[in-house]
Amino acid sequence: MNLPQAPREGRFDRPFGRRGLAGVAVLQVSLYAWSWLIPYAGPWPVEPFDALEELVSAATMLLWLAATLVAISASPTVRLGWLLVLISITDHVWELGFIQVPALYFVADTFGPGISSIVLAHIVVAFPTGRLVDGLDRLLVRAIYVYFFGLGTLRLVRFEPNFTCDPYCPRNPFAIWPDEAFIEALDRVTPFVVPVVGLLVIAAMVRHWRRSSAVRRRALVPVLVALPAALAVNTAFFFALSFDLGPVLDAVATPLVQASSMLLPGAFLIGVLRSRFARAGVADLALELGRGVPLGGLRAVLARTLRDPTLELAFAAPGGSGLVDPEGREFQAPTGPGRMVTPLERDGELLAVLVHDPAVDTDNPGLVEAVASVARLSLSNERLSAQVRAQLEEVRESRQRIVEAADDERRRVERDLHDGAQQRLVALAMRLQLARETTTGAQTLLDEATAELRAAIAEVRDLARGLHPTILTEAGLGAAIEALAERTPVPIRLDIPDARFPAPIEATAYFVVAEALTNVVRYAGANEARVKAAIEADRLIVTIEDDGVGGADPVRGSGLRGLADRVGAARGLLSVTSPVGSGTVVRADLPLT
Amino acid sequence: MTDASSPIRVVLADDAVLLREALAAALAAAGFEVVGQAADVDGLLLAVDREDPDVVVVDVRMPPTHSTEGLEAAREIRRRRPGRPILVLSQYVETRYAVDLVRDDPAGLGYLLKDRVSRIADLADAVRRVAGGETVIDPEVVGRLLGRPRRHSPLDELTRREREILGLMAEGRSNHGIAEALTLELKTVEGHVGQVFSKLGLEPTSEDHRRVLAVLTFLRSE
Repeated sequence: MNLPQAPREGRFDRPFGRRGLAGVAVLQVSLYAWSWLIPYAGPWPVEPFDALEELVSAATMLLWLAATLVAISASPTVRLGWLLVLISITDHVWELGFIQVPALYFVADTFGPGISSIVLAHIVVAFPTGRLVDGLDRLLVRAIYVYFFGLGTLRLVRFEPNFTCDPYCPRNPFAIWPDEAFIEALDRVTPFVVPVVGLLVIAAMVRHWRRSSAVRRRALVPVLVALPAALAVNTAFFFALSFDLGPVLDAVATPLVQASSMLLPGAFLIGVLRSRFARAGVADLALELGRGVPLGGLRAVLARTLRDPTLELAFAAPGGSGLVDPEGREFQAPTGPGRMVTPLERDGELLAVLVHDPAVDTDNPGLVEAVASVARLSLSNERLSAQVRAQLEEVRESRQRIVEAADDERRRVERDLHDGAQQRLVALAMRLQLARETTTGAQTLLDEATAELRAAIAEVRDLARGLHPTILTEAGLGAAIEALAERTPVPIRLDIPDARFPAPIEATAYFVVAEALTNVVRYAGANEARVKAAIEADRLIVTIEDDGVGGADPVRGSGLRGLADRVGAARGLLSVTSPVGSGTVVRADLPLT
Repeated sequence: MTDASSPIRVVLADDAVLLREALAAALAAAGFEVVGQAADVDGLLLAVDREDPDVVVVDVRMPPTHSTEGLEAAREIRRRRPGRPILVLSQYVETRYAVDLVRDDPAGLGYLLKDRVSRIADLADAVRRVAGGETVIDPEVVGRLLGRPRRHSPLDELTRREREILGLMAEGRSNHGIAEALTLELKTVEGHVGQVFSKLGLEPTSEDHRRVLAVLTFLRSE
């Protein structure tokens, strides 16, 4: 009864072909005919033909058949279709009682009246895919089955009818432990259980509805409306019947109950249709795209077509790693349940990434791809636009960083001047005055003053060189880096051509080397470093390698970030390779023309 | 103004060790007693609490941000010990800092440019004046105030001598000090001061530090 938890695409998920559909239709109609004919096999008088009643019942059957055929004809509702077939069969179990075989009679009498309601509960909880999505649902459905078959079996073995034998009074062959009082108590309680179970099932549906996307809700709504209505009518009718409220009520209630039996199959039919109605939207999409969608407007169009307002659109970032949204901002693809990421590729290249509600795909497999293929040209345009925007954003950020770096540098110079040279010069002036005014110890004061003056001179010199080394402009990259290497406490091997390059290139290369060597000294713990510059086809390639601890992060370190900006401003590329434990390689690739 | 038998006790704060020691040496040579030295604000507050000095000399730039920690330290010391003389040594020729420092109670406060201390006599004079309750504003700061570009200014109506006297008032000098600096008769100075005040439309005040504040406020607001 309980469908096995098959792998994702099991045999119960395969849509029926034409012959399968015909088979199901034949089965349903045969069962209907059987229910029409079988009463004549029984010993009881057959109720007189009531045209209205028969019309309602035929219409109901056709609704069930339609819902079943629609469900089994295409995924993802095939599984639900199997349950619908099952409900048609179980609906006729009680009719087995007409075949006057005692065992059959009592089985039919015990399980027949309730079994289709049980399958119905299962269908509602599993709507619209036929799958029970989580543990709570599985627990509910299992509990209902266990309750039904458990108590049913208990009733079967304890039921010993002693009614007047008119016209058929078989002995219950299963009655091994008869107890009249138990049966009476059970039959009194059962009517109250039905609405309780009904409410639990409605609660499960409400829970689904709340967690569902707009797409899925469209399918759930009809059932969510029909089920409480049908339950209310049936419960009211049942209790009205037990209080024997007279023939008037009977005349009103019976047709009402009959009509209500059309509610659920009708709701299933609409729900199943709605869950895949979105496919029709692809044609509208083609029309809309044909009319032209403004740049940046594609997301809204796709969201409307896929009926998923939460749909997000992203593209590969221009740098090659990561994603950007249509505005060119960095995009983080979500992980975890509740969101589904569908990459759309063309010729092996990532065209776009759609992030959407998983229901879009489970309800309409292939729809996302269909939409993507219709929207390919627009997606391509949108991707281009997003990537350009992302590049602009990157340039804007880099410009900002360059301005900030310049400000930081001014602050640093200001501080170095104030705290260094200026302090020393003031102190120097004081010492000279003291020396003039004292008679003893003037020698010491003058010595101190000289030392101070030398230190101030050295500081000013260092400061000036830090701003821009004269040797670079005057003698070129090789000489400047050589001077840099002399002042670096880590031994450095140099391999730099004795050539002159355009001044901006020399400056960029120099500061790359200076910053990289500063990092080598500060963080790498290296024994040795190597600086190499080479001309390769109109490009100057500068590499700085060390044998230190590695693990440098080019994104986080502001120094490396600043270098990347600087190299980028010279239309070059900076790469940093720094595996933990195996040294760091900083490589700047600068175009010479 | 000070009792020659007991030297003025000074606590000194500057994070640059070399300069601090040079300052201490200069102050000692000028007859002050340097009773405490500090490299940061916390150290300074501790030293002031411990030594209860006659005057505090503090560098404007100190850790952690090396901006205007000295001004905040001065404010804190004044909060704890109202009226305690403090001389702030500054690298900034910023009139705002100077005026902010003396705004609430100018008596016994000084704002002296650091370059100035290379003339030990100027430093000693400033410390002495502050210790005596006077206000000291560095002449360069005053010069900046007087030289501000003005569209139409009552300063234009002052004679050269009167402008000179206004500047000295802004530096915190008393009439006596002005007379000394310009080698004029006290009476003459008083006459000029009255002229300046009436030309600028300021209320005459006899208290020196009120006068400094009035003049500074006038110069900054113009």
